[in-house]
Amino acid sequence: MSEDTHLEALRGEVRAWLDANAPRTWREDYKTMSHAEFADAQRVWFRTLVEGGYAAPHWPAGLAPGSGRSLAEQKVIYEEMARADTPRLLLSFVSTYHAASTFLECGTDEQKARYLPAILKGETWCQGFSEPNAGSDLASLKCKAERQTRDGREVYVINGQKVWSTMAQYADKCLLLVRTSSEGAKQAGITFLLMDMKAKGVSVHPINQIQGDQEFCEMFLDDVEIPVEDRVGEEGKGWAVSQATLSSERGLTLMELSYKMRGALSRIAELIRANGLEDDKGVLRDFGQLVARCDSACAIADQFLQNRIDGIERVGDASIVKNTYSRVLREYSLLGTRLGGIAEQYRAPIVYGDLTTGNWMADFMNSYAWTIAGGSEEVQRNILSERMLEMPREPKSWVL
Amino acid sequence: MIEREELHDAARKAFPADQLKPARDASWKLIAEMGWLLLPLPEDAGGLGLGRDAATAIHFELGKVLSTAPLAPALIAVQALAAAPDLAGQAGWVERATGGDLITLNLLPGNLTLSESDSLRLSGTLPCVPDADMASHALVFADGIAALVPLDAGTVTVSERRLWDESRRLFDVTLTDHPVAPDLIVARGETAHDIAQRLHGELQLALAADCLGGASAALEMTVEYLKTRKQFDRPLAMFQALKHRCADLKTQVVAAEALLWKRATDENATVTDLGALKALASDVYRLVAEEAIQLHGGIGLTEEHPINLFMKRAMLNLQLGGSLDTWRERAGRQALAALAG
Repeated sequence: MSEDTHLEALRGEVRAWLDANAPRTWREDYKTMSHAEFADAQRVWFRTLVEGGYAAPHWPAGLAPGSGRSLAEQKVIYEEMARADTPRLLLSFVSTYHAASTFLECGTDEQKARYLPAILKGETWCQGFSEPNAGSDLASLKCKAERQTRDGREVYVINGQKVWSTMAQYADKCLLLVRTSSEGAKQAGITFLLMDMKAKGVSVHPINQIQGDQEFCEMFLDDVEIPVEDRVGEEGKGWAVSQATLSSERGLTLMELSYKMRGALSRIAELIRANGLEDDKGVLRDFGQLVARCDSACAIADQFLQNRIDGIERVGDASIVKNTYSRVLREYSLLGTRLGGIAEQYRAPIVYGDLTTGNWMADFMNSYAWTIAGGSEEVQRNILSERMLEMPREPKSWVL
Repeated sequence: MIEREELHDAARKAFPADQLKPARDASWKLIAEMGWLLLPLPEDAGGLGLGRDAATAIHFELGKVLSTAPLAPALIAVQALAAAPDLAGQAGWVERATGGDLITLNLLPGNLTLSESDSLRLSGTLPCVPDADMASHALVFADGIAALVPLDAGTVTVSERRLWDESRRLFDVTLTDHPVAPDLIVARGETAHDIAQRLHGELQLALAADCLGGASAALEMTVEYLKTRKQFDRPLAMFQALKHRCADLKTQVVAAEALLWKRATDENATVTDLGALKALASDVYRLVAEEAIQLHGGIGLTEEHPINLFMKRAMLNLQLGGSLDTWRERAGRQALAALAG
């Protein structure tokens, strides 16, 4: 069977499975739920995907039902999920990608055996990386870890604050970056730990976002003890581990989201019709321009994945995909907000965890999640200009 | 894909990046020698049997050097002739056109009217006809016919319009009660209409490729300039305010290029899809060229520096083949119909 035939066969399988198993009314359902109920719905969808063999296709063969898929196969699966307009796996995303990739690339055999199967059973991870004063400049993080012997056990004692931890209010465990030394380069004193969210001294508070969602949390760590064996990699080598964590996602999400946005252009078409603007040239032009921009976002996300499949990715490519998607998403939600008129200024229920909901003001506000989170647009511009266009870096130090 | 890369390489060797606006006649000869006029023909018609992306690759590379040769109209004419089984001496015409005998055509709609007395007669003006001074014929479409018009006929006048864009030459071709020779009728009725539609799409693709080749080259030139030019004891390229603008331009160019290659290989892309692509590409070219002059500072305002040539070509490209507003509106209508509730 040729590669293409094989992929098309897989596409047929995935499509049939999604026809039978994908939630259909989730957009309506999520609107009437509390945030905790939304998290429960996410757990149910994740369990369904685990059983179907689609929750962790990117894991090595044998580690999960349906795992061991090539990137080309994963692309097919995600294309079909976008087509079926399934809910995004917000709750389990950090677990199946960031946490799993950390264990697989840098964890001990014991850590792999202990944590990977638990993820499939629903154990959820969050990420404790950013801090109030360490955002774009993550390596300047200050959350302090001191190695001590307490009650005969070797532990790190953690004190500090973390922020922007996605869905941390529901997490069982946390991938935690801490500072074990302030000597030398700032990256050199960072250590990677695994923290139990139920440990004494951990307090988690959801952050109220501008559109009313609570996707992120802040965490306060007050004398939290973490056993030394719950460290990934060596002490002081956590920065390298964190890079493995952050590079775990290989472009599938942005492809899925781009295609979902392309599909969600139908919401703009509905607005145009509902407002009787079918022959308004100005509106048609703006819509036509947006359609081309959406197509372009899909094309670049596709090309990026294909380049990864072919092993010809260049540094900076991922930044182009992210900055394209996030800007087009902003344009999309702005056009909807504009065409929706005053109606969009009246508060309406939001759909948790989705980006193209048709609640246009909420979508507009939520689009900042993509220009700011996951490496801000400005950081991506630095990467692009310095590493792809090879423009010189600014001097490291400065004096007033 | 591999074939396309080879074409990019060949074009870059034939038209090196440091020779902008290469002389037209020598370029045209080289294009014919390279066999690029055969690109759109199937193998059994003596062509190279490559996909539509092959010609797109050449247009892209020629856009980088601000090519002065009329490859886009020439390839469109070749395809029209190859698609016209009723044309008298079709094979001979295809051979002429692929051998370097230029047949040109208007890149914006004209106002031709067709009348019939003793013979079919055409009157009116065709605007934006590239390189009519070196072409033997113009391919014209009017009221259900496609025909070749000899440009040296007494009923035809050709007058050049001086352009801001110095890399191209466009002419008005005026026909005054021009009798259409029956053996120069390329196609009639449905066939003529289909050819016109398809070739209109090909023109959009060629223009889009020219735009993104040009945008890539203008951006590269600008980034190189910023790396060299020093002020405040450092290269301008070190200032984040300027770096970020370059990063944004790069993002726009690369994202539009991804759509270019996708549509170039998509046989199902409609004329409107290709027009929407051209609108996107020409707007990106405009933005890059506009920023390129600003980022060059004073030198960008001088005739001595070539960066202005990209801006002038970009502004012309916005109009050729149909304006930004025209295509955006059509794309909006098409999407609205496709996304019927």
